[in-house]
Amino acid sequence: MIPMFRTLSRGVLSNSAWWSVEFLANDEWNRRRPWLKKTDPSLTPREIMTEKIFEKNNSILFPMTTTPFDIKKTYLRFLEEDPEITMPVAAIESLVTMLRIKQPSTSSELINLLSDATTHLKTSIPNAISLSAGCDLFTRFVLRNTHLYSDWESCRTHLVENGQLFLQRAKESREMIAQVGLKFIRDDDTVLVHSYSRVVLHLLVHAKKKFVRFRVFVTESKVENDANEGIKMANALREEGIPVCLINDSQVGYVLNKVDKVFMGAEGVSESGGIINRMGSYQIGVLAKNAQKPLYVVSESHKFVRMFPLAPDDLPVPPEGALNFSLDTTKGFNAYHHVDFTPHQYITALISDLGVLTPSAVSEELIKMWYG
Amino acid sequence: MSSAQKYEVFVDSFISKLKRRQVTGSYNVATATCRLLMRVISSGRWSSTAEFIELIRGVGTKLIEAQPREFAAGNIVRRVLAIIRDEVSETTATDMANNAPYNTSMFQLLSTTQTNKNPSNQLTKQPNQDLRSVVIQGIRELIDEIASVHENIELMTVDLIHENEVLLTPTPGSQTVLNFLLKASLKRKFTVLITESYPNDIQECHKFAEKLAKMNIETVIIPDSSVFAVMSRVGKVLIGARSVFANGGCVTAAGVATVCECAKEHRTPVFAVAGLYKFSPTYPFDRDSLIEVGNSGRVLPYEDSDLVGKCEVTNPLFDYVVPEHIDIYITNIGGFSPNFIYRIVLDNYKAEDTFGHLF
Repeated sequence: MIPMFRTLSRGVLSNSAWWSVEFLANDEWNRRRPWLKKTDPSLTPREIMTEKIFEKNNSILFPMTTTPFDIKKTYLRFLEEDPEITMPVAAIESLVTMLRIKQPSTSSELINLLSDATTHLKTSIPNAISLSAGCDLFTRFVLRNTHLYSDWESCRTHLVENGQLFLQRAKESREMIAQVGLKFIRDDDTVLVHSYSRVVLHLLVHAKKKFVRFRVFVTESKVENDANEGIKMANALREEGIPVCLINDSQVGYVLNKVDKVFMGAEGVSESGGIINRMGSYQIGVLAKNAQKPLYVVSESHKFVRMFPLAPDDLPVPPEGALNFSLDTTKGFNAYHHVDFTPHQYITALISDLGVLTPSAVSEELIKMWYG
Repeated sequence: MSSAQKYEVFVDSFISKLKRRQVTGSYNVATATCRLLMRVISSGRWSSTAEFIELIRGVGTKLIEAQPREFAAGNIVRRVLAIIRDEVSETTATDMANNAPYNTSMFQLLSTTQTNKNPSNQLTKQPNQDLRSVVIQGIRELIDEIASVHENIELMTVDLIHENEVLLTPTPGSQTVLNFLLKASLKRKFTVLITESYPNDIQECHKFAEKLAKMNIETVIIPDSSVFAVMSRVGKVLIGARSVFANGGCVTAAGVATVCECAKEHRTPVFAVAGLYKFSPTYPFDRDSLIEVGNSGRVLPYEDSDLVGKCEVTNPLFDYVVPEHIDIYITNIGGFSPNFIYRIVLDNYKAEDTFGHLF
């Protein structure tokens, strides 16, 4: 039965079709990434044979299997395949997959492998803030905890075997956040949200399910002509039966006196408790502070990242993304920057799976992780 | 069953006292809650620690529902629950030894050892008597701690008050502030301005002034309206908090928010004094629900029949002060910035009791 399933999954069906198979058991999940595997020790000789046969066939159908393991491709693949996964978790998953394939045999090999892979990931992906949170968390976890296992081999096995568990927990943390954050939304509130954020959406939907009556302003969050995250958010909320008013990014100041509280997600939460988020967050933060409206950041704790930006533009700039001035009248908008930085003094509280945190609690968590 | 009814009698009578406001004020509520829990624990019956925890939580929920603005009751219940949980985790420490001691909750994502929700289930064999006496001992220590709050806060007076300084206190109802000033007067000479605190604390204000004057402290009572006028000459503002929240904000007597606002305007430091039992792990979600509205007859006496019924009169009893307006909290365990209150709260309460479905 299993080989047949593999035939279906690896050769004939298109990618998206076999990914939609949802009933996969935990160890089936390992087999879902055949192009990432060398040999599975648990397979019988006969299965290994079939494996080899399919490997041959696949080299035509799946050129990726023949190429060496590429962490960037794996990372992007994870993101593409599961729209619910966050960037840090995708990074953790890619590192776990790498450990499964490369099977380093000594600790120093492991450390080199991890640092090479994280550096490669961080340099090859243009917006690497969020994924670096995941890489750091993972590396730090491995380095801190190898001594707790009898040998580091068992640590590796633990990490490789529990990939699915991490994913599941990352998703559960969103549920936790919804429960913690529920009390922040009251009847008759008008809430402003910026751009599309899965965790904010989850929180609002949870509140709706608990029969809280509230309305939402959603900013359009226009960065480029095609990527319109605000409309996506507005539609998602409307489909859940939450009344939405979609506004332009330039309209925030205009509507803010009608708003009771502001919610936004984050790509990363910096060491000072400030956030790195979709372009436009900073200006909303400043406006909210000026109007004395509370700004709540909703974010999973695995997005806490060890960075200390001092200014809104103190973030890694995408290669093509310097702010260019030109006399060329055919040039459009400067659209390369996708994230900005909102300092902690604009943030009232962070709603995370660790509870409601003040910005200084974030730095403590990070300090404990790195120096504790 | 009779034993269950036995403690319910105490609980119910305490609940009605809370509702009728026969017990008010954080200090009284905290000590009374300690005593109540001691009686509940000595007469309660349980077969497992999980049941024990559930029993205390049940009592806690009732107390909180009875008077949600007396945060001290909930805080004490959470402290007692933390004592129990610590005791339980100590006895299971050997079982947990293989559980990696993750130093930060961020690693929870990657750990395999699921945090055991109720480790107490394995503990049914443990003699009840043992746990009972340990927890009662813990509560006794808690009562001692509450009783000695003033002494510990007083120790810091010398560092905080200078010679010939002008202090302003808008909370004459606070015993902690009174003791603080009396203690300070032994070492320093200073002036205290007291706001009149009309209409709710006006008698307390007069008593407060009298006590200070007896200790030869230069005391001035000013009307609430002149706070801004005198602020330029004030060296420090000293407030007593009723309850302090995890974000560093606090609820205190009405009028204090205005004083703190004025102090901010003049860059005058604001010191808040509060015992540890006033620190609540809750977050001030809805500020309106924190503020109790009192008898409007104190603002406009009902004998004044010309106006009664013709205009609306409100008399809020409390104010919420935002963390940005407070410079330091002086507690019995030291002085802390409002930014650090979350840590104090994490150290004293367990997460299970903070965000559970009950509280």
